[in-house]
Amino acid sequence: MIRHLLKLVWNRRRANLLVMVEIFFSFLVVFVVATAAVVLWRNHRRPLGFDSHDVWRVAIDVGQKSDDEFTAAQVATFAQVLHEARTLDRVQAVGGALTSPYSEASSETELEGRDGSRVPVEIDEVTDGLGDALDLEVVEGRWFDAADDGLAWQPVVIDRELARALFGDDDPLGRWIDKPPEPGDADAYQRRRVVGVVSDFRQHGELSLPKAHMLERQRVGDPRMRPPRNLLLEMAPETPAEYEEVLVRRLQAVAPEWSFEVRSLEEMRVSAFRLRLVPLVVGGVVAGFLLVMVALGLIGVLWQNVVRRTREIGLRRAAGAARSDVRRQILMELALVTSLGVALGVVLVAQLPVLDPFGILTPGVFAAGLVLSLALIYALAAVCALYPGWMAARVQPAEALRWE
Amino acid sequence: MLANYLKLAWKVLQRRKFFTFVSLFGIGVTLAVLLVATAILDHVFAPHPPETRMARTLGVYAIALEGDHARRTGFPGYAFLDRYVRNLPGAERTTFFTVQQTAVSYVGGRKISSWLKRTDGEFWKVLDFRFVEGAPFTDADEANRSFVAVINEATRDRFFGAGAAQAGVVGRRIEVDGQSFRVVGVVENVPFLRFAPFADVWVPISTRKSSGYLHEISGDFQALILGRNRAALPGIRAELAARVRRAQLPDPKEFHTVRAGAETLFEAFSRAFFSNGFQAAHPGRLRAFLLAAMVLFMLLPAVNLVNVNLSRIMERSSEIGVRKAFGGSSWSLVGQFLVENVVLTLVGGAVGLVLSVLVLHAIDASGVIPYARLSIDFRVFLESLGIALFFGVLSGVYPAWKMARLHPVEALHGRFA
Repeated sequence: MIRHLLKLVWNRRRANLLVMVEIFFSFLVVFVVATAAVVLWRNHRRPLGFDSHDVWRVAIDVGQKSDDEFTAAQVATFAQVLHEARTLDRVQAVGGALTSPYSEASSETELEGRDGSRVPVEIDEVTDGLGDALDLEVVEGRWFDAADDGLAWQPVVIDRELARALFGDDDPLGRWIDKPPEPGDADAYQRRRVVGVVSDFRQHGELSLPKAHMLERQRVGDPRMRPPRNLLLEMAPETPAEYEEVLVRRLQAVAPEWSFEVRSLEEMRVSAFRLRLVPLVVGGVVAGFLLVMVALGLIGVLWQNVVRRTREIGLRRAAGAARSDVRRQILMELALVTSLGVALGVVLVAQLPVLDPFGILTPGVFAAGLVLSLALIYALAAVCALYPGWMAARVQPAEALRWE
Repeated sequence: MLANYLKLAWKVLQRRKFFTFVSLFGIGVTLAVLLVATAILDHVFAPHPPETRMARTLGVYAIALEGDHARRTGFPGYAFLDRYVRNLPGAERTTFFTVQQTAVSYVGGRKISSWLKRTDGEFWKVLDFRFVEGAPFTDADEANRSFVAVINEATRDRFFGAGAAQAGVVGRRIEVDGQSFRVVGVVENVPFLRFAPFADVWVPISTRKSSGYLHEISGDFQALILGRNRAALPGIRAELAARVRRAQLPDPKEFHTVRAGAETLFEAFSRAFFSNGFQAAHPGRLRAFLLAAMVLFMLLPAVNLVNVNLSRIMERSSEIGVRKAFGGSSWSLVGQFLVENVVLTLVGGAVGLVLSVLVLHAIDASGVIPYARLSIDFRVFLESLGIALFFGVLSGVYPAWKMARLHPVEALHGRFA
């Protein structure tokens, strides 16, 4: 059967080659879009680790771009701003952070993992209030508190992802991230040691790739530590948006040289979500357009095929083939051509996990993307074969054979 | 004869409505997508007011500081520009301005977010803003720390209501980011994607809340340099490069090398696009990339067009046979198919043109790109139409030519190829 079909396909190789090329290209595009969709979907299902409800972010602009340089005056002003925010009646919890969730800014570094590999880590420098403001879930150890001011070293809280990467199944509590300080070490306050583990912290939101996260404790008022550039305020439920003006005027009065911009974290969540969805939507539109083109092309070629082979089909019918046999023949021929085009595409994309240009193509993601795109292409081919197949099945033997 | 062919072509298009639809859809939608994409590129890169003198303008858009252990890429700081970019030989004018930032105002309980840019008096001479009211602020305003502002029409309407246009708003005050400014001029809206001129509100640099910016090597500033003429640009580039090489950094232990240069907007984009740190700009590579994307995008529709055209011709073998039998020459047959394909492509082109005009208007109206005014690039339209014609003619006329040379009896019988 297959050999017979192959021969039929070969007989019309020129038209079929064009169809194959079309299938090949659209498969590639569909595969890329489907894989991207799978990646985003998997990201979306992972827990976020913080709660953005009723949280407002105040971005602080101190009039300079770099946050590596700062003055003791700035550190003192920040302490005053933080204090002022706490005194506002509608503010329930205040946390300071160098970078805010859902903003595109982040600070990243690499640590050496347990197996010697490089682990990319997002680092944030936060004040004690952040845990309450964002409702972080501490699963091991503890969150920062005021007593940490007395420590000679830098306490950090890490997420489970980082704990796993650095320490495997060992207990991460009390472990050093950097070399333990020697006595008399002037930089001892920078040596980091784990005091707690939070469940997750995916700073860039639901659709972002999971990345290990570390929170360093910001000692408010310490002139050696750069002041945070964001406040995260947990507001009383139902706080009206007009309250923003009150908030900004109060902070502005404390720090006349700085600028403040307020946005609700919920609003930022929506725009971060959209931002990460845009490439998929654009890709989807392009892929959709290509698929429509391919579908129209396929129907055209099949239709033509049937019209040209009326006599052949009539002969088959006269020789006793049922309508369903004819329909199946058309369908199988298309399936064969589709498979040839797809096979070429699969061979090509199978090289991707080896190269893995973005480090996200795990076997699971690859397989899911492959299955999804294959299903789409074959479904498309089947739909395209419906009408020409039906036309072929309607051929009357007498009508067709009149020509011979 | 031609009229006859045209009539015939029209009839043929109507006969196989499905094939006609496939061809028109393919040509039309592909053209429309290309036109929209190029319209956006044109919107970003081509000279449009207020950037009318782009041909002799260079910008200092980015800076990188490199040390043994750290690198920092970002925008140049005021101190860097002041020290190295000012007074370049060959430059007619030089302007510094901040990257626009959002600034919030509260007016009668309403929150207004505006894009704020701080700049100097030269800005208004390097760029060609169209003032609907008032005049720009000057270098004297910058030197005296005058709290004056130029705003765009949209900002005028947001702060003072739509009716304020008649009465005029020059002399009225607006409060932006906790500071109060007197409006001295109103300009037409500038599209968001023109990054150098774009803002809602422009005020003097010296009105910044703190003066820390005066000492920054990397900060939030950019510069535009207007050369005396085009020939002066290579000299400006070379001189700035030499100055940057000699630059002294305040803390050589942290950062010892500065990288920055005067470049065109497209060069700046090409570097950001292939960003691996701060390397040379690759305008050629970006151009090749865009071209390749276009070719890839057109590949499938082209294959489809060829496919459909082949089917169309095959179907008409008996017609060809009849014409041959009645003495039609091969050339006249080819002429007929040529006319048919050209008509088809032109109709598809018209469909594409209409579609893209609709899409561009929709983008302008939707506000996705603030203050966008997208327009069709007719050169791109003609080029893509040319490509469509090439494939159409190749796939439509070549098989016709082959069939036209068959013996009439064979063709009539439908035995070919």
